[in-house]
Amino acid sequence: MKKILISTIAVSALFFTISCETDFDTDVSSIQVTNGEANFSKYVSLGNSLTSGFRDNALYIDGQNDSYPNIMAQQMKLAGGGAFVQPLMADNNGGLILGGTVVQATKLYIKSFTNGAPDIVNVNATPTTNVATKITGSLNNMGIPGAKSFHLITPGYGNIAGVSTGTANPYYARFSSSATSRVLDDAIAQKPTFYSLWIGNNDVLSYATTGGMGTDQKGNTNPATYGPNDISDPAVVAGSIQTILQTFKNSGVTKGVIANIPSVTSIPYFTTVPYNPLTPAALGANLSVLNASLYTTLKQALTAFGAGNRINLLSATATNPVLIKDVSLTNLSAELTLALTPSLGAPTAAAFGQIYGQARQSTPGDYILLPTKSVIGSTVSGAPASINVYGISYPLENQHVLTEAEAAKVKAAVDAYNASIKSLADSYGLAFVDANAKMNELNGLSGIQFDGVKYTAKFVTGGTFSLDGVHLTGRGYAIVANEFLKMINQKYKSTLPMVEVNKYQGVTFPK
Amino acid sequence: MKKIVLTTALLAGVLAHAGGFRVSLQGVKQLAMAHTSAHAEDASVTFFNPAGMSFIPSKLSVAAGGFGAKSIVTYQNLSTLESYETNNPLGTPVYAAIAYKVLDNVSVGFNLSTPFGSTIEWPSDWAGREIVQRLELKAFYFQPMISFKLAPWASVGGSYIYAKGSVNWDKAVTQLGGTLNLTDDKASGSGFGIGFYFQPDEKWDISIAYRSPIDMEAKNGKVSFDISPALYPSLGLDAAGTDSFKATLPLVNEYTVGVTYKVTPKWLVSADFNYSGWDRYSQLTLDFANAPIGNQPNDPTVLVSPKNFKSTQTWRVGTQYKINDMIAARAGYYYDQSPYTDENFQAETPSFDSNVITAGLGFNIAKGFGVDVAGAIALPKSRDVKNSFNNFFGQAKAKAYYFGLGLSYNVF
Repeated sequence: MKKILISTIAVSALFFTISCETDFDTDVSSIQVTNGEANFSKYVSLGNSLTSGFRDNALYIDGQNDSYPNIMAQQMKLAGGGAFVQPLMADNNGGLILGGTVVQATKLYIKSFTNGAPDIVNVNATPTTNVATKITGSLNNMGIPGAKSFHLITPGYGNIAGVSTGTANPYYARFSSSATSRVLDDAIAQKPTFYSLWIGNNDVLSYATTGGMGTDQKGNTNPATYGPNDISDPAVVAGSIQTILQTFKNSGVTKGVIANIPSVTSIPYFTTVPYNPLTPAALGANLSVLNASLYTTLKQALTAFGAGNRINLLSATATNPVLIKDVSLTNLSAELTLALTPSLGAPTAAAFGQIYGQARQSTPGDYILLPTKSVIGSTVSGAPASINVYGISYPLENQHVLTEAEAAKVKAAVDAYNASIKSLADSYGLAFVDANAKMNELNGLSGIQFDGVKYTAKFVTGGTFSLDGVHLTGRGYAIVANEFLKMINQKYKSTLPMVEVNKYQGVTFPK
Repeated sequence: MKKIVLTTALLAGVLAHAGGFRVSLQGVKQLAMAHTSAHAEDASVTFFNPAGMSFIPSKLSVAAGGFGAKSIVTYQNLSTLESYETNNPLGTPVYAAIAYKVLDNVSVGFNLSTPFGSTIEWPSDWAGREIVQRLELKAFYFQPMISFKLAPWASVGGSYIYAKGSVNWDKAVTQLGGTLNLTDDKASGSGFGIGFYFQPDEKWDISIAYRSPIDMEAKNGKVSFDISPALYPSLGLDAAGTDSFKATLPLVNEYTVGVTYKVTPKWLVSADFNYSGWDRYSQLTLDFANAPIGNQPNDPTVLVSPKNFKSTQTWRVGTQYKINDMIAARAGYYYDQSPYTDENFQAETPSFDSNVITAGLGFNIAKGFGVDVAGAIALPKSRDVKNSFNNFFGQAKAKAYYFGLGLSYNVF
């Protein structure tokens, strides 16, 4: 009896010991990373600043090391990928010199905090990276800060002589194979087996970041006639990208990955400063003075011309919009001058007419640019003393605000570019990254979580955008790299591992 | 034959559960027999059931002991192919108990134990460092108690529990570019225990006990940031980079029913059923005085982390055989269930469904003086980590060993 019981216990215990699964089915150390249908032995990346690892408004070594192509290349090495060489800058301060002159400023950093707000300034140093010092040999990262889609196929874009005149790019000049070479040809010359392409952002971004100072070139297919802040014609962008893809294909490189471009208004440069930053507390006693002396006068006069909705009285209980100049508005200078002359006298009425002819208060559809934050409330030199405060009594200029109408042009261009990029990705059989969707996810309320860390597109505190409000941090680029890796794996049946986003550099705070 | 059926059923059928940060190490004799409760041999019964005091054979009994608990947890991520392993220090739970028969039918006693606690130490750069780098939880229970013998075969007992505890938690604050430490060593709470103990005849011992839940309240915890001092003002921290916080950690209630059957005068078999009310632990709320590092839209100084624990059961079976007057051999087995699902995996208190095998020896050195040793090996089942609240995914597995040394002295 006793023996039966003991043996029952023993057998049962043994049974459970064996049956319980204490170990992993697959141990990660035994997993072999595979390249699937792709060959990663020579990976070359093409693109703009986002591809180069640009951040904090500069290119510098730490940022280059955290560039998404470099992050990806380290994972590709686990599946037969080769070395990934980047045109590294000379230092960690960024900036460029050419012929003894500084042609690009050093990176931004947070010097201190004042009342909880970061005091962001350029590193006080002289750049040591000389544009004239050529980088030769094998090169894998062809990301060029400032490049637009057509620049990658423009001969002479790396001609050092053209840097000062604006026809060439100092970053490409550092490693261009000749004064007449094209970025694309230099990339092909590396004999890549795999490539990535993320281009098109700058075809619309500089228009947006300058508050719409350029021209929408829709319909003009000759990029040689474009200004630096223009919106490129969608056909130019699509044509340039197609040329790149076709040239790769013609040289036998058929496998790669291409990304669409983020809606520029999802980035902190446009979303940090609200359209209505004027709190009653900040305006203080000026609020009633402004209403009585300026806003009422303007509203009455504008109402007479059917434009009374341009200005409303300031609220003492809610936050108020800023005054802006909207060049798309009918210019009512003459009408205003005429209407105000009896009460203000001719000289003052003329000044008012000139200043407020295209003025209106901002609306939720307008984007106040990040650098404009320091302009609001500052004094306008040369303006009459009673109306010389930017955004409050004097309208912000065109370059301070991306108005709703300008933002609509930006959106139309981005939508057109992205439609082309998707269809080109499909027709050339490339892996496709929806970077726009990822940035929108980041810009959403819940952001993107990774191992307990919440990332958002919020300026400084969101952790993904660097101090320029446009480019990413190392962690932001790691999120992008994971997206690229995921889509490459999906398309080419490779098993490249993802990276731990939190391991990379975020925003650096003062010591 | 009936017993065979019963034992087999316990082992094979109703496999079940406990876990969390509950440490089932309060008696070396008991651990050797799967930490079963219906043993009124010495004062160590006091933790399990205050009523058991009435059936301790001697007038005065003293018992004390200590354990070593070693565990290693491994986490791996199949997506990044990274793997990390804890470097937990040896845990050393202790207990001490005294029971005294004031009158033939009235016993008083005191028990000191460490029924809750854990120390987990991950590499400081591991993937889950935002959740925890190191967490040390401790709770001491101080229990004065009294037991009345209602009849020669039945007793009732009750205890008051004063709990004292501490927390020491290091974690990364990635978005602030540093780490923080949460500490409080003055957390306290109180509760009670009640129990009934029966010896209907010389073959049976039956123990029924309940221990109440206790809310450990950290009223004036301290959070210290290791971040750039430039950030102190905007986070509302003082010049030393610290702030205070409030939190409540629930220590759960437990129902226990235990039975011991003496098959022969030398051989006994015990079984226990525990039910632990882990469902109380639905969330952890850290309320900071100033630091806006929480996640509540209406109050950024409050951080609420869902825990969603569920109540657990544990089924235990153990046996003791007296080889001779001097030596007793013991063995046992229990199945311990994790109090949470894969979707609620907590890296700071990793928990697994575990098979645990126990064994031990008891030596009767001199009249009334006993020395006991026990050891146990836990075989936790590996599991998936799918915590979408933290977006923390992967797999985890563990190993754990326990050993204990206990002394008991029964006088008169």
